Amino acid sequence: MTIGLNEFLIVSGLLFTIGFVGLLIRRNTLILFMCLEIMLNGVNLALISFSRFNGTMDGNLLVFFIITVAAAEVAVGLAIIVALFRKRETVFVDELNSLKN
Amino acid sequence: MNWESYKSIADTNLWSAILPEFVLVILALSLLLLDMFGGSKGRGLVGRVTMLGLLVLFVLSLTVLRDNLGYINQTTFSGMLLHSDFGQIMRLFFLASSLLTAYLGSVFLKKQGLPGTEFYAITLLVTASLMLLSQSNNFVLLFVALETVTIGFYVLVSYNRDRSNSLEAGLKYLIMGGFSTAILLMGIVLLYGIGSSPVLEGATAHSLNFSELRNFLELNSDNLIAKVGVLLVVAGVAFKIGSVPFQIWIPDVYQGAPTPVTAALAVSSKAGGFAVLIALVSGPFKPMADLLIPVLSVMAIVTILFGNIAALTQQNVKRLIGLSGVSHAGYLLMGVVAMFTVPSAQNAIVFYLITYLLASYAVFGVMAHVSKRGQDDAQNLGDYQDMLKESPFLAGVLVLGLASLAGIPPLAGFIGKLLLFYVAFEAELYTMLAVAIVGVVISIYYYFGWIKEATFRIWKLPLLEGEEPEEPREWPEVSRTARLTLGGLALLALLLGLYQGPLSSLIG
Repeated sequence: MTIGLNEFLIVSGLLFTIGFVGLLIRRNTLILFMCLEIMLNGVNLALISFSRFNGTMDGNLLVFFIITVAAAEVAVGLAIIVALFRKRETVFVDELNSLKN
Repeated sequence: MNWESYKSIADTNLWSAILPEFVLVILALSLLLLDMFGGSKGRGLVGRVTMLGLLVLFVLSLTVLRDNLGYINQTTFSGMLLHSDFGQIMRLFFLASSLLTAYLGSVFLKKQGLPGTEFYAITLLVTASLMLLSQSNNFVLLFVALETVTIGFYVLVSYNRDRSNSLEAGLKYLIMGGFSTAILLMGIVLLYGIGSSPVLEGATAHSLNFSELRNFLELNSDNLIAKVGVLLVVAGVAFKIGSVPFQIWIPDVYQGAPTPVTAALAVSSKAGGFAVLIALVSGPFKPMADLLIPVLSVMAIVTILFGNIAALTQQNVKRLIGLSGVSHAGYLLMGVVAMFTVPSAQNAIVFYLITYLLASYAVFGVMAHVSKRGQDDAQNLGDYQDMLKESPFLAGVLVLGLASLAGIPPLAGFIGKLLLFYVAFEAELYTMLAVAIVGVVISIYYYFGWIKEATFRIWKLPLLEGEEPEEPREWPEVSRTARLTLGGLALLALLLGLYQGPLSSLIG
């Protein structure tokens, strides 16, 4: 059996879905963060495989930008989570509910 | 690739075409240097340098750089940027918006005792990316510029890091923002993949480029994957403009963010989303009209109704203004739908955004002044009691700003709504128009609830014997700069309703 574009896309779709569902059902901010990264990596895999099988370079280029942006997002995000943990001593979104009408 | 082809690509890198953005980035970096080496004196200058730089740049863009050194309707940087008249107007819009944000920041940060340099530097960087965003002609640049804006806002929202409210808002914005980024990216990937697929007619090696993608979509407008891709991209952008069903972050984030940042979120970020949406709808997604018109129509109707109805019960002014902003996004979406059939609707949208900027900054300016020193800012409707008696100037600005947001004639907001409704009528969107008018009627209720709180005297029980009178609330001194800025904004909101002369080219 040869592995073609479809197999890659299925894996990437699975990664994206795992991240998506995880984001909806998990309550720990660190896990939520991981889910975001999984979604982005699903996107990256799809980009690379499209790029490889369609013979265009633009996708590879975009992947570098996505990785950079994801790194920046994590840097800011973890800083916020740490600062918030010092204030509230919790990482669960259910307990982060002080903003209300 | 050989030497010649590298050279031909490098020849399109015309840095003078993005001079304002370039200057903004340099300014942002030199602010950091000023903070580092300038001592306490330099640190005190940072805010003024920022505002001066933005003001000079705004005036230059309005006069000398009006036609962007002749680059209008040209593409530069290998097709990454397209310099259009619309892009020029949005550049001016974002410069004005961040000038006002920087001013509100200087008022607010001093009151709360927060350090300023990072705030100004990030505001400038966000502005530069917003300006690039409104001129982007390629999904790579669109993504990078949009993310620079979003990540900048993550930091700004959680700027008040001693208060857990601000941090909580930052975390919520971060998670929802990351979510929308992933959705937007999945859309881009699907469009890229299907656009470069060699088995389809019109496939192109550069399917991330807007004009090439448009050519492809014209030939393949009923392709399922392309449709899903377009919908996902629109969903990602809908998060930025805060339209239903991607509006859930708005009340919490608006409430927790520092007031100047809330203003920037409400005006710049929303306008940035609309700049992208307009560029997409008038460019690559135009062939998908059959798919997008019903989707955007439903989104607009639900957004208008949700925003207005949810704002009715709010007691917190930031949540109220956030949810009313959701309904404004709905009216603007109506204009975007009208753009498919009436291209001049774009001008109505831009005019509406300008009136929205004037009125919003007037209201947020009052909010930044009313906030108490070193405390949680005054966010409840009750905090505005007796405002007319104690601080008539601020109350006047607030009333004008809110009335313009509500669309009361003869203020600018009324003309903005009139133009939007007119183009919707021309595009025969009668259902949406009816919903929008109902929405406006509902909105008057909560805007006037706020005005009533600020202007009408509340009758209090006479004091019983031995009862201590309530400690009177401290009202802020309004400096001369504040009078000039806020008064100017309120005056413009009034004048623009009576006379649209300088902007008549926009109205068409």
